[in-house]
Amino acid sequence: MIGNRVRGVQEADETGAVRIRWIPKYSAMERIFHWGHTVTFLLLAMTGMILFFPFLRPLARGDGGQLIRMTHRAAAIAYGALPLIYVILEPRRAWMSLKSVFKVGRYDIEWVKGMIPYYMFGRHEAMAPQDRFNTGEKLNAVIIILGSVVFAITGLVMWFGKGFVPIGVFQALVILHDLAMIVTVCMFIVHFYLAVVHPLMWAGLVSMRYGVTSAAYAQEHHALWYYGKDRAEEIYEAHKAERGEDKK
Amino acid sequence: MSRVAMLIDESICMGCRGCQVACKQWNDLPAEQTTQSGTYENPPDLSAVTWTRVRFTELDQGDRVQWLFLTQGCFHCGNPACVEVCPTGALKRDPELGIVTVEKDLCNGCGYCSQFCPFSIPRLDTDVLSGEGKAFKCNFCQDRLSNGLIPACVKTCPSGAFAFGDREAMLGKGLGRVDLLRQAGFPNANLYGEHEMSGLGRLYVLKERPSLYGLPENPQYPAMANLWQNVVQPLGSLAFGAAALAVLGFYFVSRRNIKMEEVE
Repeated sequence: MIGNRVRGVQEADETGAVRIRWIPKYSAMERIFHWGHTVTFLLLAMTGMILFFPFLRPLARGDGGQLIRMTHRAAAIAYGALPLIYVILEPRRAWMSLKSVFKVGRYDIEWVKGMIPYYMFGRHEAMAPQDRFNTGEKLNAVIIILGSVVFAITGLVMWFGKGFVPIGVFQALVILHDLAMIVTVCMFIVHFYLAVVHPLMWAGLVSMRYGVTSAAYAQEHHALWYYGKDRAEEIYEAHKAERGEDKK
Repeated sequence: MSRVAMLIDESICMGCRGCQVACKQWNDLPAEQTTQSGTYENPPDLSAVTWTRVRFTELDQGDRVQWLFLTQGCFHCGNPACVEVCPTGALKRDPELGIVTVEKDLCNGCGYCSQFCPFSIPRLDTDVLSGEGKAFKCNFCQDRLSNGLIPACVKTCPSGAFAFGDREAMLGKGLGRVDLLRQAGFPNANLYGEHEMSGLGRLYVLKERPSLYGLPENPQYPAMANLWQNVVQPLGSLAFGAAALAVLGFYFVSRRNIKMEEVE
């Protein structure tokens, strides 16, 4: 059954074929923002690394290096402008998403506990109900948001403040900018793996491309969002009790 | 040839700024448009087109005013931070002569050299918005040196304040002058650059404490450069490698354990 097992609603037509019920998840603006952010993030990471990794020295040299540095600045403008434009276009949705990614609850802790068994061994039973963004997605968002704030502040000061800020401060900014890069790029590697490579996570990529997700998948993975808080908890508790009895 | 040094005796310098002019002339650098700021000092600072300049400091000593001159320029450190942080290899230190030079064609104008130099010597002509430009600084007239000549500023100095040659000889000469100055009523006379930054290539005989000339008393290799290059950069490679490996490992574990046929 599409959307995994256990509690999914089996929906098959008279011929027995599985019929997927698609429900909207991400708005068009949300998706454009996400992919624009992806493209500019990767462009910035690639162009920025030429000044970071000594083995990329040949790329950093001379006019080519100058062009890459200029590209980094151009991409930085787009990277910084995108979230601002998105917030102007969809202020309520942006605020809702922002609030939800920074909210930590007991289901997040349970999710972290169940993370390894689920992602490595496919054991879905223990997973706590999740909102529209699950704990991992929230963690990704928080790290990218905080990283971007660090990038923006340190980047702008290094861009326009060279010669004005004391050199000790500038040196610290270089290091902060690079640390933010290390953290966010590591986060990106994990995000890419879960979104694109991991066999169970196919639905995330579909919903980020087409804006929809299967109802069965949403029931499994985003119960708080699909059913609402009370119903989701009811199902979760009932299921936990059931499993407890199984063990005895 | 062994390591070279420039010895500048600031007790002899008369502030004529002949060195500034000779530097501009030899290196084909344009003059700068400046405004009168109430001092003989001009231009106001080193720049991409002013690689050496005389700093004028008026030292008020109660009954008299002492004029301190300092011919600023690259120090050609024994342990140059600019060379270490340069991401292109444009900045390099000649292992034999010890001179620190910028290869213009390699420079991409990032400006790390200017931000990690403890003396703020390298200057950029970069456009603030686009970041296009290059770094410039004194190179001890590398072209002259390699043709058996001495730097233009040394050659031109009419007062004989400059000397240039083997660093050991310059140290000996400088220390001799310091002794003489101390006997002649300058108890604070000192030689600047003997040990600083693993020994500087630009040595000053000073009449007063270095700080009175606007020099750092105890210049240090920037700790941030060490942190950046020895900790943050390896950490970056390590973190990316670890993340990629972990993800790859997880992929194989989950491939083995999760049967998609059972899931769907």
